[in-house]
Amino acid sequence: MTLSRTLCFIATLSLCLSLLNTAQANPFTDAEDAVKYRQQALSMMRDNFGIMSAMARGDRDYDAEQFKQRAKAVYHLSYIPWDAFQGVGERVTENSDALPVIWENWSDFESRISNFQQAVQELVEAADSGNMREIRPKFMTVARNCQQCHQGYRAD
Amino acid sequence: MKVQVWDGFIRGFHWLLLVTFAGLWYTGGNIDFIDQHELLGLFMLALLLTRIMWGFVGSESARFSTFVKGPVSVWRYLRDKSATTPLTHNPIGAWSVIALLTLLLAQALTGLFTDDAIFYQGPLASWVDNDVNRLLTRYHKQIIDGILILVAIHIVAIFVYRIRGTALTWTMVSGKRQTSEPLAQPKLVHGAWGYGLLAVNCLWIYLWLG
Repeated sequence: MTLSRTLCFIATLSLCLSLLNTAQANPFTDAEDAVKYRQQALSMMRDNFGIMSAMARGDRDYDAEQFKQRAKAVYHLSYIPWDAFQGVGERVTENSDALPVIWENWSDFESRISNFQQAVQELVEAADSGNMREIRPKFMTVARNCQQCHQGYRAD
Repeated sequence: MKVQVWDGFIRGFHWLLLVTFAGLWYTGGNIDFIDQHELLGLFMLALLLTRIMWGFVGSESARFSTFVKGPVSVWRYLRDKSATTPLTHNPIGAWSVIALLTLLLAQALTGLFTDDAIFYQGPLASWVDNDVNRLLTRYHKQIIDGILILVAIHIVAIFVYRIRGTALTWTMVSGKRQTSEPLAQPKLVHGAWGYGLLAVNCLWIYLWLG
């Protein structure tokens, strides 16, 4: 284990303890299970996002209530996949599109995750307005966050 | 003497192709311009199909049967470039045209099946399953490199011709070719027929995929 990773580990551990936040490591003992879990969460995000996208781009009538529900679903999902990238989830498996560089740039990966979560939160807030002109830029910001992380961290 | 080698459609096609390609290059990979990219891509498809049709029914100089030659002719041309004065594309340029049209067509067609895993699906993405979407999306990102290489070769070749005294760019504007040797006037089809064909192709492609 490199020094920086050790420090990172200690920092993370102490942060968890100090917050008395009993966030457990993920429950997986099999790498394939971790991969499947995070893929399911990401694909649900995409399914929900696809419906919002159709509305934001005019391929489907805008339904404010439905849009809000989808945005909330993505918001909740935006907290789901990431711990499955740790523990046994760090092992590169055949079915995974995650590139090994994720674990080399772990802190960058984490900061992208929190940017993404922030963007989704802003989308949820905008969705409350029921005004597509307010929603669209927030929606595009989320999409850009997806893309930026896929470039470099997800196999084509 | 001056010979009219390119009809109005071929000239317009060439410059429309350039502008459309530039637009596609600019909008490609940018999530904010995906809708414009798709629209330009459909227009590109219409342009390419029309050029291919024109290669069978258009002016003599634009027909594939006029300028596409087998390897023996290519070899002969390479050994002695002065032996023949090609009516239109020379045997090497002809294969470059075929290669470029093929790659551009492959690029336009794979684009129809792309899926960015975020929020965009090409108009025909649902025809195939996810693995195929994935593969074609990857090809769509790779073929562009081949196209850019061919475009670079094309531009370098034009500079080389210019240095040696042949102004190809102007020929593609006026359609007229300056030649010292007598050259038979190719049978030209009026360019308006080409634009009519282009309009028809744009229409059905847009109605179907737009």
